[in-house]
Amino acid sequence: MIAYLVNLATLTTIFAVLATSLNILIGYGGIFSIAQAVFFGVGAYAAAQVALHVTPDLLVASAAGAGAAALLSICLALPALRVRDEYFVIASLGLQMLAVTVFTEATPITGGFGGLVGIPPASLLGLPLTDPNAMLAACLGFLVLVLVLTRVLMRGSFGRSLMAIRDNDTAAEALGKNVMVLKTLAVMLGCAYAGIGGALYSAQMQFINVESFTLDQSVLIMAMVIIGGTGTLIGPLVGTVLILLLPAALSFIPGIPPTEIGVVQQMIYGLVMTLLMIFRPGGLVTLRTRRQ
Amino acid sequence: MIGRRGLMIGATMASAIPALTYPDPAQAAASPYMLGTLFPMSGPNAEYGEIFTAGADMALAHVAADKMLRRPIVMKAVDSLATPQGGAIGMSRLVNVDRAIYVLVGFTGVSKAAAPIGMRAKSILVNGGGIGPDLAGLTPYFWNVIPLANKEVERLAPWAVAKGLKRIAAVYVDDPYGIGVVSSLKSSFSKAGGKVVAAYPISPTDQEFAAIAAKLRAVKPDAVYFASYGAQQSEIIKQLRNNGVTQQLLSPSSVDIPSVHALPQSKGLIYTAQSADWNSPDPVTRRFVQDWKAKYHKDPVPYNQNYYNAVLLFALLASALEKQGKPVNGENLRNQLLAQRSFPLVGGTGVFDDNGDISLPIVIKQFQAGGKVVKIA
Repeated sequence: MIAYLVNLATLTTIFAVLATSLNILIGYGGIFSIAQAVFFGVGAYAAAQVALHVTPDLLVASAAGAGAAALLSICLALPALRVRDEYFVIASLGLQMLAVTVFTEATPITGGFGGLVGIPPASLLGLPLTDPNAMLAACLGFLVLVLVLTRVLMRGSFGRSLMAIRDNDTAAEALGKNVMVLKTLAVMLGCAYAGIGGALYSAQMQFINVESFTLDQSVLIMAMVIIGGTGTLIGPLVGTVLILLLPAALSFIPGIPPTEIGVVQQMIYGLVMTLLMIFRPGGLVTLRTRRQ
Repeated sequence: MIGRRGLMIGATMASAIPALTYPDPAQAAASPYMLGTLFPMSGPNAEYGEIFTAGADMALAHVAADKMLRRPIVMKAVDSLATPQGGAIGMSRLVNVDRAIYVLVGFTGVSKAAAPIGMRAKSILVNGGGIGPDLAGLTPYFWNVIPLANKEVERLAPWAVAKGLKRIAAVYVDDPYGIGVVSSLKSSFSKAGGKVVAAYPISPTDQEFAAIAAKLRAVKPDAVYFASYGAQQSEIIKQLRNNGVTQQLLSPSSVDIPSVHALPQSKGLIYTAQSADWNSPDPVTRRFVQDWKAKYHKDPVPYNQNYYNAVLLFALLASALEKQGKPVNGENLRNQLLAQRSFPLVGGTGVFDDNGDISLPIVIKQFQAGGKVVKIA
């Protein structure tokens, strides 16, 4: 049981990094992207290639993942930030669809639909992370780093400017803020985080393929952020825990026939999500803050 | 007083309570052998999960009725969602919480994600659904009880050429399964004196094939071979026929699912499958078919057979280990498989190679009117 919980906790930690990455865009920057799984995937593939051909060190792999995702994010940011709101959503949707095709077709790099198998177990500064507890500790360390950096940046001038743009970009521009640069930096930061999440994911799973980086995954990440509460440090973490652990908890319901198990679980899961959005439209953490 | 927020949190947490209170099966009952299934039980691929589970369930009933083992078998089902992530979480749960020593699995992405976890836990994973050639030898603890796709194509090519189907156009999903099939198709038809004159890749999510039908009409092949899976196969058949492709359709065994049987346009389609002579006098096959027809009032499909065989294989291996006084665990099951190699299964004697991959005779079948299937070679 403990090993299962550790595995679940590790995945939750990785997705918390990912949710935090999207929170930078949606919560602080007001940039509604539904292509976050693309940067998650770019980070995962870059890190997997580093692990397969250079070193399994998680720091090096994460740096490669973050760098690759941040670089690619410029491709999204520069042209797409000229549009906003629903038009940006459509632009990011286009990128998501394009990326899935590229992930499927670029077989020498991504392994195509079959993916990359045999990714070696990760190490950190020479210490092997073969023990699941060690891997969990390493992922928690990355999550803490991401959270601390986010808190520092969002409390500084960069974060305040970004939130000003989110609330009213015309007013912010009139006050001398460079909207394009700030938004581009926010996209790069958020995507670099997603790249780190991808690197951790490939190290944990030891297998990646395009099925983990589809539109469904992007929507799932967005649900984590929105259900947890956008624009808060803790909200996306709460959303991640809820969305990842609820289906796992539902799998323990006894007495369901094997052929009905999926349907029953999906119905309960969907019902809980719907109720949460009815009673917590602003997200779990945001509403609590407002009430207080 | 409990407010709306309290009620919501209570309702949410209530679903998590079983996770804390449901006893660890290994502690609660040390005696049963824990087996697991990691099939898609929801979403568009749930049809496969039901088919796979039905075969395994019948084998469990037969093993229990025959008292083949000294301890009962408990089968735990987990929904893989047909995704690698779902497969990894599900496999982790099966081996770490339920202590499953033998897990049935079916989809390529799920299999590949679950295989490293099975390897670490030394739990056997048995595939009876995926036929991609890249599933061979995934890990020493990953076995296939279904002949992989390349074996099917090798059987089909000489027969098709002899029947005058020499110029073949292929439509295939662009994944390891489809790519593996087309690669085998090219080499096998070339050897047999035929030729693959065109090959059109499609995405696993494609649902529109009118453009491919137009290309096929222009190429004018003797036959069209398509390699896909799930509901997409019905769309391919329907749209090719509705768009004027009249040539003979050929396919591997993935086409043998109820939704294709029910499709009027599938009449005449020829496909390969592992030997499944439901009229065979072999007692294992006869019993399986008789009981299947009695329960479901129709013939079984090869997927039913495969997962029946997967559970029967476990029972045969565990029985042998019990007689030797050895503990039934993944490592001993693997050693026993490699020592014994051949087993009386549904469809005949199954022989396993060093990778744990089965060899079974391949037959050629054809859809008749009303979804009926006849063996033609």
